Amino acid sequence: MKRKKTLILLMSIATLSVGLVNTAKAQLDSNSIKEAPNSPQGGQEKMLLAGEITTEWQSARINSATNGSITSPVQRFNSFGIQNPSYPFDAAPLGIMLMPLIKVNNSLFFDCQVGWDVTGGVSLNEAIAYYRVAPMCYAFAGFVPIRTGLYEGIMDDFTNRFCSTPIGMGIAAAPQCAVGIQGGIQAGYSKLNYQLYVANGPQLDTTGGPTGSITYSNPWANNLSKAVGGSIGFLPLSNSNLEIGLSGQYDPNIVNQNDPYTVGNIKTTSVVAYLNYFHVFNPIMVRVQGQYENTVVQDFNQYTKAGDSTATAIPTFDNRTSGWYAGLTLRASGSSHTFLSNLELGGRLGQLTVPKNNPWGTGNISQTTICLTYWVTWKTPINISYDIYTPASIPQPNGPATNLPTLNSLTVRGMWFF
Amino acid sequence: MKYSIRNKALLAALTIGSAIVIGMNACKVPDSIAAKSGAQLWGENCNRCHNAPDPHTFSDDQWDAATEHMRQKALLTDMEITKIRIFLKTANK
Repeated sequence: MKRKKTLILLMSIATLSVGLVNTAKAQLDSNSIKEAPNSPQGGQEKMLLAGEITTEWQSARINSATNGSITSPVQRFNSFGIQNPSYPFDAAPLGIMLMPLIKVNNSLFFDCQVGWDVTGGVSLNEAIAYYRVAPMCYAFAGFVPIRTGLYEGIMDDFTNRFCSTPIGMGIAAAPQCAVGIQGGIQAGYSKLNYQLYVANGPQLDTTGGPTGSITYSNPWANNLSKAVGGSIGFLPLSNSNLEIGLSGQYDPNIVNQNDPYTVGNIKTTSVVAYLNYFHVFNPIMVRVQGQYENTVVQDFNQYTKAGDSTATAIPTFDNRTSGWYAGLTLRASGSSHTFLSNLELGGRLGQLTVPKNNPWGTGNISQTTICLTYWVTWKTPINISYDIYTPASIPQPNGPATNLPTLNSLTVRGMWFF
Repeated sequence: MKYSIRNKALLAALTIGSAIVIGMNACKVPDSIAAKSGAQLWGENCNRCHNAPDPHTFSDDQWDAATEHMRQKALLTDMEITKIRIFLKTANK
């Protein structure tokens, strides 16, 4: 019986190996394409210093589940003279992002993003080295905005046609120290893309974050606990108009932010599903986007610091947070009128669902957004958006539910990518 | 028992993996896909996330770096990014 199982295992491994080799061979070989030398011919090293300048003004803002802190309380900032008295609006008046890209040769590529703004100081968004293993496989290592659906790291830049941040995003994963592989594969008329990685994973936020929240700001490679994750995208149409996909990350043992060298007994699992579709129904270009994120912090209620048998008063609640958004944009890209063809109108719905009975006393919140974008150039949008945040009433154990007022916010943003 | 469950999980993973790979191999890249031009791929793939860029935005060397960045962001296939790069470097003259 055991011998039979071993035989089946060996056969399966052999089939998989042969299949993978055949898949690699079946990919079109780009080496067959002759590429003319650059003009004027430079060295082998190719470099581009790209970047972005941003200015953003908001009449009001809600701090929610952003920056990977999955259970941040929903806080209201009525910023007319309160949040930021220097400006009439709550503003990020100037932000600069620099992105040096260095293609050392056909196998090695470096990618870095450093941000600076007048209110938040300097931040490292990503610093990654890529190495070509095969035409359909690149290995990467560094501080990586791991693929978590399509919003974070891809659709959250000048590519965000809705201007403001969807309230339910940012709860699954954030840039982390990671190593992995990724690539794109042509499979008949369809395409697949994938990413598999091992990362530092999140830490339990014990330095001021809400009880039970996790943070991905975890640069310490302590080798005690690693998260594994991946993403797979499927583009079924031959014109690449539709992409649907799944991403996920699992960390069997997250560590305490205060004590990163001690393994806790908490697990986190995040799952993301996404969709991106665009099509030109001449003269209108239609784009549909959607993403769902869900993160569970398991066994948080049983958390004890290793070696510490003292019972800690930890509130009991089901520590799972989820969020979603769905949006539609319309642009008369085929119009002969230049001004009209550069206008894009968008509408979006979204929601953040926080853990039930959470100890920080916040409830779910939904978001409705309308946005108008004018594309000055292909990479220079000016957006004006209006968001309506509607918090759900929060049930109280001893009395009537707390009703929170709706918050409306106007955002104006300009971005110049260079 | 635990060993058995692990074996079953491994078997299931291998079976699914094999099925995916065999399925993909059954789909040879059709001629119509292989024959796509760089300009067509530029329109199809860049517009997935942002407006298709003006080829005059960058020089040849800069396009080499920029397209490599986009290969990693959008996880394009090798053939796609090679054709798009050649198109951009030809059209920027």
